[in-house]
Order: sequence, then structure tokens, then C-alpha cells
Amino acid sequence: MSDTYEHKQEDVALAGEYALHLLPAHERQLFEQRLAEEPALRALLAEWDEGLAPLADATPGHAPPAALKRRVHAALFGAPPPEPWWRRGAMRGLTAGALVAALVLGIVTGSLQQMRPAGPLYLAELATTDRDLIVEARLNAGAETLALVRRAGGPAPGRALELWLIAEGASAPVSLGLLPQTPGPVTLPLRPGLPAVLAGAVLAISDEPAGGSPTGAPTGAVLATGTLGQIGDT
Amino acid sequence: MTTPADVEAMIARVALGDRAAFDALYDATSAKLFGICLRILNNRAEAEDTLQEAYIRIWHKAGHYTAGGYSPMTWLITVARNRAIDRLRARRRGAEDIDDLPDLADTAPTPEATAIAASEAGRIAACLDQLDANRAGAVRGAYLDGDSYADLAARYGVPLNTIRTWLRRSLLKLKDCLAQ
Repeated sequence: MSDTYEHKQEDVALAGEYALHLLPAHERQLFEQRLAEEPALRALLAEWDEGLAPLADATPGHAPPAALKRRVHAALFGAPPPEPWWRRGAMRGLTAGALVAALVLGIVTGSLQQMRPAGPLYLAELATTDRDLIVEARLNAGAETLALVRRAGGPAPGRALELWLIAEGASAPVSLGLLPQTPGPVTLPLRPGLPAVLAGAVLAISDEPAGGSPTGAPTGAVLATGTLGQIGDT
Repeated sequence: MTTPADVEAMIARVALGDRAAFDALYDATSAKLFGICLRILNNRAEAEDTLQEAYIRIWHKAGHYTAGGYSPMTWLITVARNRAIDRLRARRRGAEDIDDLPDLADTAPTPEATAIAASEAGRIAACLDQLDANRAGAVRGAYLDGDSYADLAARYGVPLNTIRTWLRRSLLKLKDCLAQ
């Protein structure tokens, strides 16, 4: 029994030394081999790391330079994190209020009347300034679908139009998929876990290579944006 | 204020490849981890490189987080510390950096960055107080500044074997105290 206790105490000391980065190189290697094979040793190390961690509370934080985040993104995803281009003058769509008003007037003749929303209904019109690309988006939050109608315009040959959702306060756009190649209505299912706050979220269309953005973030020009306005409720 | 539960939720989403969650995790925790790297390395450029490596590792290892039994901030801090000390030791195996003066004076600490509450009150401070001041200083030096046995032996003017014996005894006492 005393052998086991001494053995355990030896491990306690070793794990503590390892947590403090004090072990000589060859002992460290041996310890790491054991870590891979012994769950109890890993648990012991975790206890040490947990016990020591509050020492770091006294270390003041320092904000790293903004460029560092871009470098991390470039290293991981091959592209910088999207700058908030949707908050700048790149927006070419109509203002939110005008959009919703225009759509409300248009509802009477639109196919919207056939919809039976189970939840709040959000509408947005995305259009370029010269209106050579117009896409209507109807988001039925209850049904978790996004209905898109391409009223005018379409992707350039060999390119695709990708739709993005930017929820308020989100740090990056979320891709909702590619716009259809042909005009007319299409319904996109929404992935579970999309931001719960949809009212006020911005939809945007960017020009991407065929098949969509290779990086998971917009890579091409932002062609049109629009704000989702809530117009209905159950 | 970001809670440990918030951080844990972000890590879980990062494990699923959620880049927005990764951005949020970076925004919430990078100042804390950068401060730790700066303290160990005393060199802005190296601290920046280390922080970058740490977050790359965090992205790739987030899926292993739940298996480890770590609280979220401890896990992040441990990743950052490990990389910083590895770099410190690599540097010391090379040339002596005689002009690496602490250059923290030009940046102000970020109060908000330290506002993530620890998931539990730290017994470590109270337990260290029960040790001889030199022994407590040695543990702190190793953890916060990345001091090696050679550094500690030089500081306290004792042979390597002695400092190791002292420290191992101190660690056993500490562990008993922490477990209470």
C-alpha cells in the first residue's frame, strides 16, 4: 500500500512540475507518453492546471492589435475576417423603411397571400441602385424557410450569386446558399442554429465563383443589400 | 460580462466549425491571453506570434475540450501559456536577448479583458501563503514568468538538485491544500 501511495505522490509532483514546465526534456517526453496512455494522469494534470490557473487572474489583459485577428483568419481560413462592409456606404439597396412600405403595397398582388405563416414574417427586397438585379426574400421564421424570388437580373456567366445573412451584432455573415440559376421562386430551408434575431438583420448578395464562396465568407463584390423588416405575426 | 458558461458555449460551437463563434471567442478572450503571453515573453512581436499560434491551436483542438475536464478559461489559458513557454525556452536555447526590456509601458491594461470571472475562487493564493515566501515565489515565477529550474536555482543561489527537491516538496503541500 505504501508503494502505491509513494507512486501516487511521485505522480502528483511530476504532474505539478509538468504543469509548471519545469521537467527536463527527456522526463517531459516520458511524461507525455504516459499522458497519452493514462487517463488518471491526464486527470491529475487537469487538476493542477485548474488549481494554478487563478494565478493568471492578476495578469492584466492587453488588447492585441487588430491586424492579429486578420492574420489568424488568413492562417485558418485563407481570408481575412469580413470587414463590416455592410455597415458602410457599400449598401446600394433602398432604406429599410422604404423597402417594407413598398413591399406592403405590393403584397396585395403578390403570392404572399397564399402563405400561412406559423411565425413572424420578414420581408426584404434586395436591389442594385439601377435595379438590374432585384431579389425578394420572404423569411417565414416559424416554418424555418426562406422564399426567394428573383424578379430581375441573375448571375454573370460562370459566376454565382450568394445570399448572406448578417444578424445584428454578428461578427460575420452567414451564408444562406446560392441564388437559383433560373428566375422564379425557390424556397431554401434554413439551417438550425441561425441567429434567432432576424428582425433588423441584413441580407446581402455577393458575386462569387460558380459553386459559391470557397472561403465561407464573401469574396466578391457586394451587389445588393436589404434589411429584413417584420411585417406579420401569427 | 462574458461568463464562463458563455465561453464554454463558444468553444462548443467552434468545435463544430462555427467561425462566427470563433470570432466571438477571440473577441472575448484574446486580451486576457495576450496579457499572459506578454508577461512570459516580454516581447510584443513574439507575444503576437504566440497568440496567433494559440488561437490556431484553439480552433483545431476545440473538439477535445470537453474530454479534458477543464473549465473553459483554464483550457484557453493553458493553451496560450504552453505555447508561450515553449517559445521562451526555444529563445533561451538560442542567443541571450539582452535588449528585450519589458515593453508593456506603451500599452494600457484592458480592464474589461480581465472581467471574465474565474469559475471558482482560487485557493491557490491562500495555499501559496502557507508556504515559505521563497517557495511560493518559485511557484509563481514558474507559472507566471516561465522560470526554469536553472532560473530558480540562480535566483535563490542554490544548486539545481536542491531547488528541485524544494519545489517538489512544495508542490505536494500545495496539492494537499488545493484538494481541501
